[in-house]
Amino acid sequence: MTKLSGVERMLKALSRQEPDRVPHFDVHNKKVREAILPDASYEEFVEHMDLDGIMVLDKVNAWSYEVVDESKNIKRDQWGALVRYTAEDLGVPIQFAIHSQRDLDGYSMPDPDDPKRYKWLQEVVKRFKGERAIMAHATDVFDIAKESFLGDEAYFEAIVNNPELVDHVNKIVLDYNLRYLKNCIEIGADIVLISGDYAMTHSLFVSPKHTARFLTPSLARMVELAHSLNVPIIKHTDGNIWKIFDLIVDTGVDGIHPIDPMAGMDIGEAKQKYGQKICLCGNINCGETLCWGTVDQVRKEVKECFRKAAHGGGYICVSSNSIHSGVKPENYVAMVKAIRDYGNYPIQLD
Amino acid sequence: MVEDVLGNLSVAVVEGDTAQTIATIDVALKEGIQPNDILTMGLFPGIRKVGELFNAGEYYLPELIVSGKTMQAAVNHLNPFIDKKSSQKVGKYVIGTVTGDVHDIGKNIVIMMLRSNGWEVTDLGVDIAPEQFCEAVKAGDFDILGLSALLTTTMHVLDETIKALEDAKLRDRIKIMIGGAPVTQKYADKIGADAYGRDAWEAVTKAEALLPRKS
Repeated sequence: MTKLSGVERMLKALSRQEPDRVPHFDVHNKKVREAILPDASYEEFVEHMDLDGIMVLDKVNAWSYEVVDESKNIKRDQWGALVRYTAEDLGVPIQFAIHSQRDLDGYSMPDPDDPKRYKWLQEVVKRFKGERAIMAHATDVFDIAKESFLGDEAYFEAIVNNPELVDHVNKIVLDYNLRYLKNCIEIGADIVLISGDYAMTHSLFVSPKHTARFLTPSLARMVELAHSLNVPIIKHTDGNIWKIFDLIVDTGVDGIHPIDPMAGMDIGEAKQKYGQKICLCGNINCGETLCWGTVDQVRKEVKECFRKAAHGGGYICVSSNSIHSGVKPENYVAMVKAIRDYGNYPIQLD
Repeated sequence: MVEDVLGNLSVAVVEGDTAQTIATIDVALKEGIQPNDILTMGLFPGIRKVGELFNAGEYYLPELIVSGKTMQAAVNHLNPFIDKKSSQKVGKYVIGTVTGDVHDIGKNIVIMMLRSNGWEVTDLGVDIAPEQFCEAVKAGDFDILGLSALLTTTMHVLDETIKALEDAKLRDRIKIMIGGAPVTQKYADKIGADAYGRDAWEAVTKAEALLPRKS
C-alpha cells in the first residue's frame, strides 16, 4: 500500500478501515520525553518518534489560570475552582467554583473565543497540518462540572436530590466546550478527543440510567458538532465500561480510548462486540507493563493487542492512559518500535 | 411494632431519605425504643444494606453518598440520646491520601462508610508524607491505618510509607489497609499491606475482619 501521512493513517483507522500501518499517538510526560530526547521541544519529540497525531490539551494549552499561592502551587482555574498541583504536576481542584444557587445565578462563563487559548494550536497547525493529525482535546462536561464546579460529593448528591442543578452546570460547560471545539476545528484540528472518566476500576461512577441522563447527552452534542464539521471524535474513559459501552457507541463517537486493561477490559472482546461500529484505541498497559515490564514483555503485549484488535483496521495503538512519569523511557521506545515492526497491513505476527 | 419501626428506619436509610429517617427516629424514641437499639437494629442494618447494594452493582456513588449523608444526619440526631458508656466504638481508624496525591473522594467515602458503621476515624487529609503517617501512628492509639493513592503515579508512595513505618519500628503496632483506583490485591501483597479494599464497602468489611475477635 502507498505510504500514508500520519493524519491520513489516523483518519482511515477512525473510519474503521485498514491504513498502511497501525497508527500511534499518545500523551507524554516531560521526564520521559527528556530521557528519550534531551533538550527537545514537544514538537521535536513528536517528529523524532514520528507520531501520527499530536494532542493539544485544553487544561495545559488553552485554559487560563491565576496564581493564588505560589509557595503551595495553588492556582484558580478559569471556572473559578482552586487547583493544587502535586509533585507530579497534576492539578486537582481543592475548592470549587459553585457553593450555592446564588453563585450559579451570578456566574459568567470564561470566554471561549479568547484568542490566547489558541496560540499553541495555531503553532501546531502551522508546523504539522497535512502531515500529522492535529488532535484538539477537550475535558468532558461531566468532569469539569464535577471537579471544578460543584466538587465530586456535591455533584453526585445533586444527581439524586437536585437534578436541575446538574443540568444547569452541565449546560454552562457544554456551551463553552462546543464553542471551544468549533474554534479549534476552524483553526485546523483534524480530530477531537474528549477525556474524562465515566468509570473506575471496578464500577461506574453513576448508574447506566444516570449515565444516559446526565453524561452521554453532552457527549452526543459534541459528536454532533464535530461531525457537522467533518471531524471524527474519540471518547477517552478509564475504568470498566462494559455496562455503558452501548451508550457511548450510541452517541456516534468514532473512536474509544483506552479500553482500560487495569479495569479488566479486554480489547479482543471489545473488537468482537463493537469493532464494526467503532475504532478501538488502546491498550498497552501503562499501569504495569510499561512501568515494570521488560522490553520483551512490551513487544509481546503490542503483538497481543494487534492479534486481538488490528485485523480489518479500525485500530490505533496507544498506551492504556498516557506515557506518565512512571513509564520506563526504554519501554515506550520499545512500544513504538514494536508498533512499526509488526504494524504494517496486512498484519503478520508469526 | 418495634420491628416495624426499626425496619422502616432501615428502609429510609437505604433510600437516602433524611427527613423520613429523622422522623422515624423520633417515632422510635417516642415509643420507648432504646437509642442504642435504634442505632444497632435500625440504622446499622440500613447502611449495611446500602453497602451490599453498592457491592452488587445496584447502587453507585450518588446513591452511596446520599445514603451516607442520611446516616450521618441520623447519627447526629440520635447522639444526644445515646448512652456513651454502653456504645463503644468498633475500632479506631486513621486514614490519609499519600504524598503527591490530593484526590480525596475515595478516602472521604471510605470515612463516611466507616463512621456509619461505628468506627472512630481520624482523617489526616491529602498529600500526607510517610513521616507524617509515622507521627500519627506513634501519637495515636489506632487499630488500623488506611492509605489511599488514586493515581498510578503515586501508588509507589504506598510502598514507601509502609517502609517508613518499618524503619520507625511502628509497623507491628498497626494493621495497614490500602486502596485507590490503580491499587490491586496483587500490589497489596507485594508491598506487605494487611488488606486491600477495592471499594468503600470492602474497606468496612475487611477492617472488621482485621480486628482481634472478641471472645
